[in-house]
Amino acid sequence: METSKSLERVHTHTHGYFYKTILKFICFTVIFCFLFYYVSNILWLNKTAVAYFYDEPENSIDVAYIGSSNVYTAFNSTLAFDMYGYTTGMMTTASQPFMDVKYLMQEVLEKQNPKLFVIDLARVGIDNDVYTEEDHRRTLDSMEFSKNRFEAINDFLELQNIPKDEYLDYYFSFFMYHNRWKNITKESFEGEEIFFKGYVCSKYTVPTIFQKKSTWTDEEEKLQESNEKVLNELIDYIKKENLNVLFVVPIKCYNDENVIKRTNYAIRILEENNFKVLNLNKEKDIKINFSTDLYNANHLNVYGATKNTLYFSKYLKENYDLPDHRDDKKYDSWKKEYKRFKKQYKKLTKNNFDDLLKDVKKE
Amino acid sequence: MSLTSLTFLFFGLMVLLIYFVVPKKIQWVVLLVSSVIFLFYDNLNVGTVIQALVVLVPTYFLGMAIYKNKDDAKKSKRYLILGILIILGQLIYLKYTNLFLVTGNHILNLFKVDYQFGLVHRNSLVGISYYSLIMISYLTDIYRGLVEPQKNIFKCALFMSYFPILTSGPFIRYDAIENELYGKHKFDYKRMCRGLVRILWGVFKILVISQRLGMFVDTVYGNLAKFDGFYTIIAILFFTLQLYTNFSGSIDVIMGISEIIGIKLPENFTLPFFSRSITELWRNWHITLGCWLKDYIFYPLLKSDFMQNLGKKCKEKFGKKTGKKIPMYLSMFIMWVLIGAWHEGAYTFIIGSGILQFIYIFLEETLAPVAEKVNKKLGIDTEKFSYKLYQMLRTYLLFSIAMIFFRATSVTNAIHIMKNAFVWNPWVLFDRTSLYKAGLDMYDFRILIYSLIIMFVVQLLARRGDIREKLFKQNIVFRWVCLYSLIFIILIFGCYGPGYDPAAFIYRQF
Repeated sequence: METSKSLERVHTHTHGYFYKTILKFICFTVIFCFLFYYVSNILWLNKTAVAYFYDEPENSIDVAYIGSSNVYTAFNSTLAFDMYGYTTGMMTTASQPFMDVKYLMQEVLEKQNPKLFVIDLARVGIDNDVYTEEDHRRTLDSMEFSKNRFEAINDFLELQNIPKDEYLDYYFSFFMYHNRWKNITKESFEGEEIFFKGYVCSKYTVPTIFQKKSTWTDEEEKLQESNEKVLNELIDYIKKENLNVLFVVPIKCYNDENVIKRTNYAIRILEENNFKVLNLNKEKDIKINFSTDLYNANHLNVYGATKNTLYFSKYLKENYDLPDHRDDKKYDSWKKEYKRFKKQYKKLTKNNFDDLLKDVKKE
Repeated sequence: MSLTSLTFLFFGLMVLLIYFVVPKKIQWVVLLVSSVIFLFYDNLNVGTVIQALVVLVPTYFLGMAIYKNKDDAKKSKRYLILGILIILGQLIYLKYTNLFLVTGNHILNLFKVDYQFGLVHRNSLVGISYYSLIMISYLTDIYRGLVEPQKNIFKCALFMSYFPILTSGPFIRYDAIENELYGKHKFDYKRMCRGLVRILWGVFKILVISQRLGMFVDTVYGNLAKFDGFYTIIAILFFTLQLYTNFSGSIDVIMGISEIIGIKLPENFTLPFFSRSITELWRNWHITLGCWLKDYIFYPLLKSDFMQNLGKKCKEKFGKKTGKKIPMYLSMFIMWVLIGAWHEGAYTFIIGSGILQFIYIFLEETLAPVAEKVNKKLGIDTEKFSYKLYQMLRTYLLFSIAMIFFRATSVTNAIHIMKNAFVWNPWVLFDRTSLYKAGLDMYDFRILIYSLIIMFVVQLLARRGDIREKLFKQNIVFRWVCLYSLIFIILIFGCYGPGYDPAAFIYRQF
């Protein structure tokens, strides 16, 4: 009797020990993951708009805008919401290689079901082999850990002929960024305040630099073989998924005439495939002034962005069936971000954004 | 497969998982299969398979033959010699051909013969220097009647190729490891925690300290024209630390894995830089190699007929005291030359890790009475901390000088490095910027200094007892804070990823 009782005690003790150990192991792992996530965010100093896109609630994005810096500096999604009430999620990164577009669309569809995809054609004419590792990493490292990201990485690495043993450095971007501890500042902990639902407004996007307006030619030049392959794959993907897509050529100074010619070539292919392409360089109603509305050769400043947004957001509202969420409390974050943007504008220029808006509307 | 690579991490995890899942009877098979994978991971071809079989098959059969003929001393000795010749023959062929060719070229130059042998490149399996000596000791121990041969050739193969020890040792002995290697092991949570902490500690030493030291050393040694004087002196002192942290860190990883499995390996390092003499340092540095060479080279050599006869003759000529010492020093000299040669078939290693070490020990022993007299006359208390500190620093400096040869590409290069150290430029230590131009910036220097302090404090604490046991006795918050700190120090400050080469382990080539 006594023996069986003590055996029972041992048994219970063993079971207790086992569960306690498992619980400890789980707790340790959970805390580790939390700390790792926190540390990664601090060390990853190049946070992009893509990272903010993921923060949006499920099925809350009406327009998914994919593209390069010509998008996040030129289209103020908070202003568009304030004007028409639809939400625009920005899957944008600087110098975004066109080959990444397909994967970013897949990323969007993981959590969102947008009524419209807008795809920036700023870089369709840039040869694939011109892109640096940094250009690709900005996009690839911004993407959440998924099969889709693995495929995007593999595609890029195969194109670049990177040895297989270096693939892990891309899969786990922490390998790359951990060494940035030397650049940690107060801001690294507090987070950057320059993104407003993907639109960037900072001290760099406010100044004005005189630029010579580039003339848009209608001549064509064949795309590089790999670029054309990427474009055709994208077309096939969009058709297969039956997605509603608008392609847009952004306004900027096109110093390289060949890029214009190659973009025209891409536009023709897209139009032949019954896609709508909007070349903003040809839209005179935007009234971009090249001597006041750009902060460098490639990017619109906050004034140019306001003009561009007013025109393009209206275009989208008029041509596509987009909902108005302005009275829906679930979308209050968009209002908050618009207010925060206006504060930022005032901080940077000492002026009221509403005054600028009035002036632009008058023009 | 580098010990700190993700591949090894994955490999290790899989091995441990499978090891504890399969029936205990076949746990050793898991180790064997893992060892075979590890052995041929980087280098699988017909040649390397033959290399492994050339050691395994004769050792197995000759081991049995020696044991069967244990009563016939002559016959068993012949089998032993045959086994040693086969193992050593292959080792020399694969690793030392160039040493002979270079020597030949020097001799031809000396006699002004207009001919030079071309050097050869031979692919050898990872760990060949380790498993060759391990198998020699296995045969010798059977011959000496210390162990019985392993009847299962696959188990014999596992002893030869147990994967954790293939890259950096330690040397294992059959009688010490037999039971644990083939034994049945239950998963033990505490053992796993202890093992993991040791692995982390090893990775910390390698990635945070050793690799960082290497960045400075490589920059200076790679550009001697630009970095001379104090740059060179610091690089010389740093290299010894780099070597230590790299090698002992690898050993920590290896010991940690083995501990999780349930196999206790012999310690290979016990605080060598607190040694007060070179003799003491070698009792704490690569301990298992020293023991191996003593047991299988030094003592057999000293007891050999040749040395006995030499001893007798010397005693007649130089008196009893000196005569006794001559064969001992000669045996010691041969042993040190072999230690140097074992590291690599190059003169730099024979000098740095061999002959110079012998000279230091020889001088320490012969000058000890003189030093004692001088200290007495000057009234120096040798038991005071200051004197001990002086002895430790002297030992470190002497060892570092020898290690110049270890790091140099040739003897000429080593001499050039030494000359470089005598350029007078102390301002590089004080002008705030110069020191940071040699591969390590100010931030890296800070991390390096903090990490070295952590390492030495932990090691000093470890002297007083099992530090991991003490850690596990602390409350959970403190324990976890320590563990998370160690993990994140490695993750953030470790030198790995693009731009670093964590695979370039100094000891891996042996």
